[in-house]
Amino acid sequence: MEADFLATVLLSSLSSASILLIATIGLAVVFGLMGVINLAHGEFLMIGAYTALTATQAGVPYLLSIPIAVAVTMAIGALVEVLIISRLYGRIFDTMLATWGISIAFYQLAVLTFGTVSPGIGMPQISVQIGDYSLALYPLLMNVVALLMLGFVYLLMTRSVYGMKARASIQVPEMARAIGISSSRVNTLTFALGCGLAGFAGAVLLPIVPATPSMGFAFVIKAFLTVVVAGPVTLTGSALAAIGLGGGASVTASFLTSVAGDAFFFIVTALLLWRFPLGISARWRRKL
Amino acid sequence: MTLSQRLYRASAWAFPAIAVAVALILSFLIDPYLAFLGASWVIFGLLGLSLDIVWGRGGFLSLGQTAFFGLGGYLGAIAAVNLGPLIGNTLLPTLPIAALIGGLCAGVLGSLIFFARMGPLQATILSYTFTLLLWSVTQSLKFTVGAAVVGGDNGMSGIPGMVIGFGEGARPLAPNGVFAVCVIVAALAYFATLALMRSTFGRVVDCIRLDIQKTELLGHDVRRVQVANMAWAGAVAGLAGGLFALWSNYLNPSLFSVQEALLPPIYVLVGGLGTLAGPFVGALAIGGLSFWLGGGAAGGQTTLILGVVLVLLVLFLRNGILGALDQLWRRFLPDPNAAARDAGEVRINVNDLDLILREAEAQVGPAKPMATDQAFKQFGGVIPVNKVSRSFVPGRPMALIGPNGAGKSSYLKTCVGVYQPEGGQVTIGDTDVTHAPIFCRVRLGMGVKNQKPQVFGALSVYDNLWTAAYARTRDKAKASDVAGRILAMLGMTAQSGVEAQALSHGQQQWLDIGMVLCVAPRVVLLDEPAAGMTNKETRELSLLVRTLARHTTVVVVEHDMEFVRTLEGHVTVLHQGEVFAEGDIDSLRADERVLDIYLGRRQHV
Amino acid sequence: MFKLVGATGGYGKTTIIRDVSLEVRHGEVVALLGRNGVGKSTLMRFASGSIPAMAGHVEIDGKVAPTAPEKRARLGLGYVPQGRFVFPRMTVAENIAVAAAATGHDHKAAVAAALADFPMLKPKLDDLAGGLSGGQQQVLALARALATQPRILLLDEPTEGVQPSIIDEMAGILKRINTERGIAILVAEQDLDFCLSIAGRAYVMEKGRIRMEVDRDTLRADTALQQDLLGV
Repeated sequence: MEADFLATVLLSSLSSASILLIATIGLAVVFGLMGVINLAHGEFLMIGAYTALTATQAGVPYLLSIPIAVAVTMAIGALVEVLIISRLYGRIFDTMLATWGISIAFYQLAVLTFGTVSPGIGMPQISVQIGDYSLALYPLLMNVVALLMLGFVYLLMTRSVYGMKARASIQVPEMARAIGISSSRVNTLTFALGCGLAGFAGAVLLPIVPATPSMGFAFVIKAFLTVVVAGPVTLTGSALAAIGLGGGASVTASFLTSVAGDAFFFIVTALLLWRFPLGISARWRRKL
Repeated sequence: MTLSQRLYRASAWAFPAIAVAVALILSFLIDPYLAFLGASWVIFGLLGLSLDIVWGRGGFLSLGQTAFFGLGGYLGAIAAVNLGPLIGNTLLPTLPIAALIGGLCAGVLGSLIFFARMGPLQATILSYTFTLLLWSVTQSLKFTVGAAVVGGDNGMSGIPGMVIGFGEGARPLAPNGVFAVCVIVAALAYFATLALMRSTFGRVVDCIRLDIQKTELLGHDVRRVQVANMAWAGAVAGLAGGLFALWSNYLNPSLFSVQEALLPPIYVLVGGLGTLAGPFVGALAIGGLSFWLGGGAAGGQTTLILGVVLVLLVLFLRNGILGALDQLWRRFLPDPNAAARDAGEVRINVNDLDLILREAEAQVGPAKPMATDQAFKQFGGVIPVNKVSRSFVPGRPMALIGPNGAGKSSYLKTCVGVYQPEGGQVTIGDTDVTHAPIFCRVRLGMGVKNQKPQVFGALSVYDNLWTAAYARTRDKAKASDVAGRILAMLGMTAQSGVEAQALSHGQQQWLDIGMVLCVAPRVVLLDEPAAGMTNKETRELSLLVRTLARHTTVVVVEHDMEFVRTLEGHVTVLHQGEVFAEGDIDSLRADERVLDIYLGRRQHV
Repeated sequence: MFKLVGATGGYGKTTIIRDVSLEVRHGEVVALLGRNGVGKSTLMRFASGSIPAMAGHVEIDGKVAPTAPEKRARLGLGYVPQGRFVFPRMTVAENIAVAAAATGHDHKAAVAAALADFPMLKPKLDDLAGGLSGGQQQVLALARALATQPRILLLDEPTEGVQPSIIDEMAGILKRINTERGIAILVAEQDLDFCLSIAGRAYVMEKGRIRMEVDRDTLRADTALQQDLLGV
């Protein structure tokens, strides 16, 4: 096997892992900080993608459409939190079912609004040459984006006063209020932040993953498994799980078939859960 | 007892029996298309029942039920295709195989989940992963068994319909007949499940859902019970799958899809979690709703409406349709928890207690010493138990004291079996139990009262005691006798029908202690039993512990020095994971080192 | 400065405390005594705003306090619940800092002040609070409440599960913050000795109501009363 081929496979697999991570971080924030499994996460990603698409079609430059997508998803996320999620804290399986209901409702709304197919915006046609192979630059750029997102969320949550309040509010809500934190407002913001990160992911991945109503389903399953495999130390755990599962599946897929890649993902997930019944980070002594 | 109360008690079988009778009569009357649809609702109700068994009763939300359903369907269909033409009847070869395969797969998956001791979320996800794995694999899986062709994403067609006659002339049933068969099979599965859940097996399943650790501390092999329960649920799901294959005559991998996997939880939630009959109501409601919407009421927006309905259900009808009816009905019945507030005082009757303990001794043998030899436990750099060698013997109470963080709890957990030590040995009597699971230790005679009260909240006070007594005696009459006497001793005779969760914190502590007494352990470990008790209660507790110590080995971890003093027992001081000092309490009070690290000099208090 | 007026509350439809009125004056330490299950914890949760009022209200400085617990906290009400409830996946320092920040105080100064009050927390500063032992968590919960710079402190069973030497130390600290900073304290306790050592007077509860009000010397002298009301 040629070294350049191997390098190509590794680089593109790393990109796949990063793409998975980008799609996962919002879910990890919402799950890790709030204990909420947001099954509608994929639909927020979709909303982000459609917002960016609609904005670019209306003539807004692509780079500017990304913050618009974040703002729109954050607003919808805040609304969903206030109306639905805030009534369900502490009931993890009820939130799962409620967010699943939200997810199919949003999906259907998207079908009604946009139809089932829509145009992509096309990837910037810049590529990198490795030996005999050329790789598109944009997916490689996703590695950097994933790192930046990870760093941003980590610093926000561990270094800022808001981060402390957010963690306190969800760990012991009653006590957080008793020391003066307006937990409900902080929780709304945290949930909106998670949704905003999903919107960001949808927008930033738009050149790679075209907007379709069902794009959410495709992402959410793997994102979801990644977060659960990660366990209680969500952020660091998710990063590792995304690289292991997403990268591994991508390597498997490039040597065998895409079905084998999926099978790899699910089987390794099962093995990891069997070996680490509470997630890989259950025994880590870290905050996030 | 009023008629309403009697009817309420019989509701789990009376109303379903009426519903079955009505459905069978309707099967002769309704239009064939409605019968065809109705059969599918019954089948999905049965699928929902399988989830209610593991989730509503067992406490584990399995998203693998559709996988067992699909596997049962496929395997049952293969049997039907091959054996149907030979014997005519298609139910006989299909349903048993479908149930068997469903039960088997659920048993294997359950073993993985429960023996690995997965967290609830991880367990749910693993079952979901199993379904997704089948989904992606079956897309491209093509093979032939005899006349049956499994064609990947093309699915499997040509499955015969339901035939109940035998021989060559046997013809498939018409839709109305199919509906009746589905109702009968579902009714059999429902009533069998109901009987199982009302047996002592079902009681243990309920206890596991309410407090798994306490259940294991009563000596039940909880993981085996969980696997058995899951296997039973899998068999019910497989059975439903077999019926589905014969009903639809066609199967494809979408059975394992994400959308399909989330349908059973909806049926269960709509109908009422843990009610067993609820999933049928749920399937009927959802099926009926989409039939009505799809029939023109809302055109193509069925998915949208179902999504919204699901959100509304979770928000406003938390206990489902049957749960809401149940609550409504109970408003008109006398409140069983009304007696909770006028509980009498606890008064330990030494003679009674002596008698119970003597009986226990005659039945399960004399007190056993418990010992640790060089027990060692570490977490990362922290060593909460550092080579502790201690032997606890019957005769007088053995107290363990020490500063917060001295390793008392960790040491106790190592003895109980919650922690596996990295080195050293733990023995009960002559048996090495260093690596034995908790329930084995309990069966060897260990009894544990943890710091927080552990009672089965949804069970009545009497049932709590009875369940504990039955775990030891394995004899219903004897268990009733023991439970009744302990109940009287706790001063809770008037509260026997009260749900344990309605008791105050202090009463729950006593109930928990009563449960430990019912088990009549040969070694008793008590973790801060006097926490939150008034001085008078503490005195009663002290009397109880001293009486207990005459018959069994008693180890008490405690902070209340006054209480420890009244025990007049042997005291061990732990500090930084090691034995620091020992002796009786007065000699320790005179020990400067002990005053420094633990007892303090009472400058302020 | 702190008053409960006609407090009635409970959980769901069950009423546990009925028409309870009591007062804690400026700079005073008052104990709340009574057997198990008479409603002491419920009363404390009512006072902090953690459970909704069925009737009655709370007054701080003669004004009716808002219902939201976070607003009460910002008005100077500190609360240490039974069972501690520290934030388990936050460090000791963060537990203190977040309380200071939430009530609008400088969080770095708050951590430094807490260390001066409770030197035993110093080696644990960067450990996760969930990993502390029961007694250490109790001390942390107290330090966290003090970081909000309260004027009245509600303590619910502060000695439960805490070793004697720390109980002793805690009594010393409470006396000191009371006299030096003028913080008023309402403490619900089972441990009569602890109460007698810090409180000047006490309310005795029975079946969800205040049965009587008694000063320290009367209570200390009257063993029959102790027996009757507290099961001592």
